[in-house]
Amino acid sequence: MSLRQLLAGEIRSLFTDTTVMLTVFLGVFLYSFLYPLPYLKQLPREQQVVVVNLDGSQLSRQLERMVDATPQIHISERMHSLAGARERFLSRKTAGILVIPERFYRDLRLGLRPTLGFAGDASMLLVYGTVLEGMSTAAGTLAAQVAVQQLLLEGQPPRLARDQFRGAWLNLRTVFNPTMGYVSYVIPAVFVLILHQTLVIGAGLVSCAKRGTTVSSSPGMLVLVRCGLFMAIYMVLCLYYFGFCYDLYGIPRQAEMWMLAAIMLPFLAAASFLGMTLGLVLPRRELVTLVVLLSSMPLIFSSGFIWPESALPRPLVLLLQMIPAVPAIKALLGVNQLGAGYADIVPQLAQLWLCAGFYGALAWYLAGRRLSTRLS
Amino acid sequence: MKQSLARHTIEQWQALCRDPWLLSLVSWVPVLLFVTLWSVFSSNFARNLPVGVVDLDQSRLSRSLIRHYDASPTILLEQRFGDVARGTEAVRRGTVFGLIIIPKDFERDTVSGRSPTVSAMVTGQYLLVGRNVNSALSQAHATFTAGVETVRNLSTISPFPSQALAAAVPIATQVTPLFNSNTNYAQFLVSAMLPAMWQILMVATTIMVLADGRRRDPLCWPGDEPGKRFAGLVLALVPLFLLHGAWYLSWLYVIMGWPMHGSWPILILAQLLTVIGSIGIGALFFLFTLDAARALSIAAFYAASSLAFMGVTFPVTDMVLPARIWRSLVPICHYIEIQIAQVDYGAPLSYQAGQLLWLGGFCITLLFGSARLRRIGAARKEADA
Repeated sequence: MSLRQLLAGEIRSLFTDTTVMLTVFLGVFLYSFLYPLPYLKQLPREQQVVVVNLDGSQLSRQLERMVDATPQIHISERMHSLAGARERFLSRKTAGILVIPERFYRDLRLGLRPTLGFAGDASMLLVYGTVLEGMSTAAGTLAAQVAVQQLLLEGQPPRLARDQFRGAWLNLRTVFNPTMGYVSYVIPAVFVLILHQTLVIGAGLVSCAKRGTTVSSSPGMLVLVRCGLFMAIYMVLCLYYFGFCYDLYGIPRQAEMWMLAAIMLPFLAAASFLGMTLGLVLPRRELVTLVVLLSSMPLIFSSGFIWPESALPRPLVLLLQMIPAVPAIKALLGVNQLGAGYADIVPQLAQLWLCAGFYGALAWYLAGRRLSTRLS
Repeated sequence: MKQSLARHTIEQWQALCRDPWLLSLVSWVPVLLFVTLWSVFSSNFARNLPVGVVDLDQSRLSRSLIRHYDASPTILLEQRFGDVARGTEAVRRGTVFGLIIIPKDFERDTVSGRSPTVSAMVTGQYLLVGRNVNSALSQAHATFTAGVETVRNLSTISPFPSQALAAAVPIATQVTPLFNSNTNYAQFLVSAMLPAMWQILMVATTIMVLADGRRRDPLCWPGDEPGKRFAGLVLALVPLFLLHGAWYLSWLYVIMGWPMHGSWPILILAQLLTVIGSIGIGALFFLFTLDAARALSIAAFYAASSLAFMGVTFPVTDMVLPARIWRSLVPICHYIEIQIAQVDYGAPLSYQAGQLLWLGGFCITLLFGSARLRRIGAARKEADA
């Protein structure tokens, strides 16, 4: 059988398989809208907070206004007792409570260090962190104002007082995702995983087809042609994800085109070989989809971008190194988001090529075995 | 041939035991997946996150500052860099999650009251890690400056330590994290991940079981009394899925001993409704495609993304309208609200009635499924006749 016939047969069996088409094209397209959907606003903003002001002084009301002015917090209600605030809280109408103690103003002026109370719902850690951030910003600003006033009272010149009330400053900057936005955090990694999972399903379904459309004399050729075909399709899908979608969601792209290609090439090869291996090992088509579907959640959470790899159980980390998506996510986040150089991702690239070689050889062997059993 | 409902149920269980794949799906696979997901966060907190430091001052005070930072359990200041360029490179390579740069003359400027600025950059790409490093650094820095300023104030403002401290830190704050008192990541995420995984398993298993029935007997599927047979299938699956659900709940809140303030009956009721809804939805996916692989692809689209829509990692109030519409169509998103409200707040039943009703609404899918199956059965009979 000539190469052209083989290729034509492969293309036919791929494009006539509705399930593969559904998963690969429609799936990849729809996922690109579904996954970013909940995070489109990037950051939780204006969380509802209840204030219990037991002081009532002018300064305490100023603090309330300062808290309300932060982008993180919106003061939804003012209560006169803790019991009322608690009630609000339990009915989940509010994300946090700010308590300004009695005699707040007096204690502050007397140098008695009054204590502000914050309580937040820590069962939702992101909301909790946001509320806390807003409250401490406001309290910190007020404390700074008070400290500067104190220095002014002691006769320091205003400029010096403003600059010097703090012993040493900390200029804390967030880099690479400066706003700590959720889309730019989740999407780069999840997109790699979506490409990986759909590719594995697609290649697996095609290889598992009982219909046996192509009978080739050489299993090596068959495996290579199939892999090439999937790589060609997925290169286009990669352009859509890392080009169009990145632009659409405003995700920074630091890597050069050739660097992305250097990652995608072994990644796509490894993933399609892995898919073929699965398809050849598993007895029925749907089992390929099942295995991939069930593996998705463990993969997302243990690929190292949500929870640091150092905190994961060691055996799990080792096991995961066999999945092409794991080194690919690491390499892609490195070059595209953190701006790492080629030299920094060499280990991941080597790992991807190794995966490709391993699964390629496995698929070749299995395809050969299947052909020989079919012939005999 | 007429059979009782119990007979159909027993037949379904027998079918489950015949196929090793199906048997795995309802026995050890859920256990393995739940344990794997839990093990990811089994360390509970992110500790010893590597952060680099460039000390351009090399003084007593700068070393004391480094010790202050290092004392935080969250970060590990192990890597020292000679210059900023090499430090930034490590940040780019991802070997450290942040870099602290202590300026030259840090000690001299601090002592002479010229308030030097320590710079720190933190990688925001890994959001959870970044937030942790951020807050650890600002906390450690605040304690450090409070100490420095108090010592300074002792000589200038007041010889009494308490007054010197008050001048340095005029307002104290007391932060109370409610419902998750040590801001434990495992408690926060795992309690949502397991239900999400549970739903994926339920939808997928339902599809596999239906497909198995059709594959075994392609000629006369769905057979006589398709409606009754479907009811038998549902009755066979409900206790199994409920067992999985109860298993992870009791593991987290009884064996692991995480706090649980709510009522078990409400939780189990919510689980029962979720199970019925998920079976119905899985059945619809299969019955309208009549192809297991295709149905599973749809199930993947529907269920695998549900964690993102649950509103645990990102608050529901900040989701755009289409996202809120989508999540209202996924049973587990309603279930998780009940679970959180029960476990954390112990909310009374009246607060939960709305969510429970929504969940109950998903039971309609069973009727659709049954109707669809009966229709397929009738069409088959006609074709046979």
